[in-house]
Amino acid sequence: MSTPPESRGRSTLPDTRRGSALLAQLAGARANPGPAAVATVTGLINGATMVAGASAIGWSTDHLVVPALAGDAVPASIWWTSAGLVLGISAARWSTIFVRGLSTGRVQYRAQAETRRAVIRRYLSLDPAWHRRHSPGRLLAHAISDVDALWSPMQFAYFAVGMVFMLLLALTELFFRAPVLGLVGLVLVLLVLALNITYQRLLAPRARDTQAARGVVGGVALESIEGGPVVRSLGLTDAEDARFAPGVQRLRAADLRMASISSIFDPLLELLPTAAVLVVLAVAAPRVQQGSLSVGDLVGVVYLLITVAIPLNVISRFLSMLPMSGAGRERVQAVLDSDEVLRHGSRHLEQPSPLRVDLRSTGVTRRHRQILRDADLTLEPGTVTVVVGAVGSGKTTLLDVAGGQIHPTTGTVAFDGVDVRELTAGVVPDAVAVVSQSPFLFAESLRDNLALDRSLPDADLWEALRAAAADDIVRELPDGLDTVVGERGATLSGGQRQRICLARALVRKPRLLVLDDATSALDSRVEQQVLASLADLVADGGPTVLISTNRPGAVAIADRVVLVRAGRIVATGTPSSLLDVEEYRRIVTAYRPADRDEEAAGDARTHVS
Amino acid sequence: MRVPMSLDRPEAAAPGLSSISGRSFLTTALRFSPQLRQGLLVTGLLALLAGGGRIVAPLTIQQAIDSGLAPHTVAPAVTVGAIAVLVAGASSLLLNRRLQEKVESALAGLRRDGLRRVHDMAASTADRVPSADLVSRLTSDVDQVTTFLQGGGIQFVTNAAQLLIAGVIMSVFSWQLAVPVLLLSALLISTMMLMQRVIARRYAQARRDLSRLQSVVAESVAGAPVIRSTGTAARTARKLDDAVDQARDSLLRTLVPLHGNTALGEVTIGVMTVTVLLGGVWFSLAGDPAQPRLSSGEVVAMIFLVTFFVRPLQFLVQSLGEAQNALTGWRRSLELVATPSEAVTDGSALPPGPLGVRVTQVSARYGSGPLVLHALSVEIEPGEHVAVVGRTGSGKSTFAKLLTRRVVPSAGTICVGGVALDRIASLAGRVVIVPQDPFLFDGTIADNINLGTPHTAVSQGNAAGASPSGSSRDGVERIVDELGLSDWLAGLPDGLDTQVGLRGERLSVGERQLVALARTALADPDLVIFDEATSGVDPATDVAVQKALAVLTRGRTTIAIAHRMITAETADRVLVFDGGRIVQSGHHSALAARPGRYAALIDAWRNQ
Repeated sequence: MSTPPESRGRSTLPDTRRGSALLAQLAGARANPGPAAVATVTGLINGATMVAGASAIGWSTDHLVVPALAGDAVPASIWWTSAGLVLGISAARWSTIFVRGLSTGRVQYRAQAETRRAVIRRYLSLDPAWHRRHSPGRLLAHAISDVDALWSPMQFAYFAVGMVFMLLLALTELFFRAPVLGLVGLVLVLLVLALNITYQRLLAPRARDTQAARGVVGGVALESIEGGPVVRSLGLTDAEDARFAPGVQRLRAADLRMASISSIFDPLLELLPTAAVLVVLAVAAPRVQQGSLSVGDLVGVVYLLITVAIPLNVISRFLSMLPMSGAGRERVQAVLDSDEVLRHGSRHLEQPSPLRVDLRSTGVTRRHRQILRDADLTLEPGTVTVVVGAVGSGKTTLLDVAGGQIHPTTGTVAFDGVDVRELTAGVVPDAVAVVSQSPFLFAESLRDNLALDRSLPDADLWEALRAAAADDIVRELPDGLDTVVGERGATLSGGQRQRICLARALVRKPRLLVLDDATSALDSRVEQQVLASLADLVADGGPTVLISTNRPGAVAIADRVVLVRAGRIVATGTPSSLLDVEEYRRIVTAYRPADRDEEAAGDARTHVS
Repeated sequence: MRVPMSLDRPEAAAPGLSSISGRSFLTTALRFSPQLRQGLLVTGLLALLAGGGRIVAPLTIQQAIDSGLAPHTVAPAVTVGAIAVLVAGASSLLLNRRLQEKVESALAGLRRDGLRRVHDMAASTADRVPSADLVSRLTSDVDQVTTFLQGGGIQFVTNAAQLLIAGVIMSVFSWQLAVPVLLLSALLISTMMLMQRVIARRYAQARRDLSRLQSVVAESVAGAPVIRSTGTAARTARKLDDAVDQARDSLLRTLVPLHGNTALGEVTIGVMTVTVLLGGVWFSLAGDPAQPRLSSGEVVAMIFLVTFFVRPLQFLVQSLGEAQNALTGWRRSLELVATPSEAVTDGSALPPGPLGVRVTQVSARYGSGPLVLHALSVEIEPGEHVAVVGRTGSGKSTFAKLLTRRVVPSAGTICVGGVALDRIASLAGRVVIVPQDPFLFDGTIADNINLGTPHTAVSQGNAAGASPSGSSRDGVERIVDELGLSDWLAGLPDGLDTQVGLRGERLSVGERQLVALARTALADPDLVIFDEATSGVDPATDVAVQKALAVLTRGRTTIAIAHRMITAETADRVLVFDGGRIVQSGHHSALAARPGRYAALIDAWRNQ
């Protein structure tokens, strides 16, 4: 794998190894120091403006509103100062909101992008065994939603920092005005924080229930809809409704359980500041009368209490996102920390001629199960070897290990005498082309699908397509080689995809060609055509070929046939010599009506007629 | 800091489903969820009380200041305020519960009606809409509404009420001061709406880029073996890098309008506060300075009211996107429920016994595509076994789909059991198709076979849940025995209780066909259409399929889409399809003996 080319606006990868969501957010900030610093400073200033704004209203009440309406003369400078204070503080507030928002977004989205890049790159370098253990759906979730969750608290981080600062300032200010006011403020802050935390505690398990209930509803709905033809055909609509109903009811109940919590806490949180205002009025009124507090002080305090709901809300939202973020971090980090990367040696292969492959006591163990054991097999350069065996007998594993796609657990596999494990990166892909059971195409043009990373003249592409009996397919497409196939090649039929994949393998001019049941979706005529051109290719000094199949057609071009049963090679020989083996005979003749098991056929006939 | 989701989601309904315009949305919603109509007045009243409770603080302040903050006047003001807060809290709680209960019961109804509709709408429609789309109309689209409701929907209602009340009180204190506030608000709303549109556009782009990133990641994960075996990881990494960068950049582009919008609200609050503060004092003294038009308490209350007026305004404008999202979700599920059912309520019942089929001059096409069947006529006797053969694209599967109403003929008539196909009340259980790759429900083999038991499933209501009850278990075992499947089942680890996995994927295609045959046999249909598997059936299973099929077909009319000679050989009659027409018809031995399409086909089979 090459190193990533540095391109526009890449930032550093945040180091999220230390174990908490909060530390991860700090790491995100460290990876983007510029915007993080700006966001912190503007966050703090913004917090201060909220306290200053309340003071400005209080000051204006004392110096402008109350004296002017009491009939006293108020100098013009007071008017100007009032306007200047309110507008100036407001300007500081809205500009910091804007700048804080921009810088926060930069930190969040850049950290998100870099983590995502790291996760995806790790996928590319992890070995097949790791990939086999992790479903594609899970891998997609790690790269998308887990990374999102990891960085989601960031959106409130600097806001929350500023609001903590604001609360400290506000409480100090209240205590400074009158200890009793400070006390009311402190009680309010503590109460609201406690309520918020209780709220999140109560909500979290209910939210999980809802999520689980949604999963059940989605699962039943998907199954029922996919099984729609069966439901129709057998008249199961009522049964399906009955099967769907409990899940729907459960989800409704779960949603309402969340609602019953929020219907208590939302009004409480909403009205607590108002209640605090009433308390302040009750305790402060005598002090105003005594003259130890001014009306403006009182108004300022009230203004502060009313606005205190916002910071508390932001802080609790930030805190409530941390558990999700922590879970996301763990899953993301598990990917980044996995070290099952593909390993390579340093040796190269010399000749460009067909490859010789030697398997010596080769075995493959997967999850304590031996799926291939003691395989001894030599693929002579320029020969065609066909592997047959029942479903699940280990054919695919034999092909994978012989083609250097996986490494053996025991024994060795050698290409031209060199142990595959000692080969340097890129040697196996250059020498071997594989067409697997499930043909995979990228959602790109056919030209890109065939050439991949090479730039090849069209003539080469067409030659490969012809050999794979796929030239007609491409010719009939509206845009020919430039036709973009749908996701995973969905716009083509299974048989068409198989042939394009075969062409992709041939165009790489491999020294070993591995076909794993790669002609299963072709009708027999086309299969014959493909096999014939393969035979021609080999005769012209083409690749060594290794084929697995359930169908007898390929046996016709085989130099050697290998029969596999339960992870062992049980027989090898020429196609005709193996006809003595009963199992082999049964497999290759199953679809040939003439050679059909007479008794079974006779049975079927009597029953039908 | 609300994130608007979308104002510009593609509006078109999926092909075949009812489309609901914005205008008919409300009437449709009320038609399918009548419970929403009840008690609207009470709901409105609760919202006003809840919204009003938030404005208690400025009013109490005004009272207190104007009474000179004398304890004997402050105490009643505070008491009144406290009562108001309690009333508001209680109203808010009731409103919350009431709205959520109503909406959730409506949504639960929509989900169930929706799934029913999926199964009783025209099959041709159901086939045309992707499963994922249908599923989302029953799940994530509906969940959108709940999410909105819980994440601000109720606040949407109370904020609207608060806005209304604050506006009214300001106008009562002094309409002259309220006018500039309202004008500035109008300016703010129109600017924010414009900005919101920009935000929505940029978010839509960000979502598109994110879903592109998702496809690229999915592709690189699914294609990992190909990428590895061809050594093209660097190429894929470049593609992924581009997608990551693009997703990030489009998210960054949302920041300026998003935060610009929030900042704009603060600008407005600042300007309004100064207007009310200075303007209020000036206006009060503008008449007779000895008798100010407003008290100092009223000016202070007005300053507070500005905040109480603008904040809900901001909230409302910024939640518009989410509200839109919720409505779109709701509308999408309504579109499904409003799609007409295909059930023929006044149709005729099928006569008992094996069913004959008469196809007269039938043509068929998919959508507006070319004809795939041309004026086809054929008669199949009750109890006859027919094999249909032909190359891919010859029209033989369309023929099968016609008989099960999955495709509607564009011309001609089809009669089954002497009744016109579109007049038959129900085909369920009488005309059954066994497809090439049958669908099994997640559960045991017994559960799946038991689905064929006529109507027991209704009372029992599960395919995937508990095992069938004793009597139905007997039925399952009897049918398994009759079809000669006991040997195959004996070879499975848990016999009849073997779990088949999602879609039955733990079984091979051939084994799934065996289960489907048993299920069909239990349903005891009178016309069976069997689509033979083409490849991948291992020889042992194949023999079992042939044997089971032979038992199943006895005494019934059968039509087999044949891919192998053995099936055609054993049929009473072979229909050879080519280019959307029946080009040959007769017994295998007669057709094989003379040159033609069938003889060519036999050659191809023999060479396999």
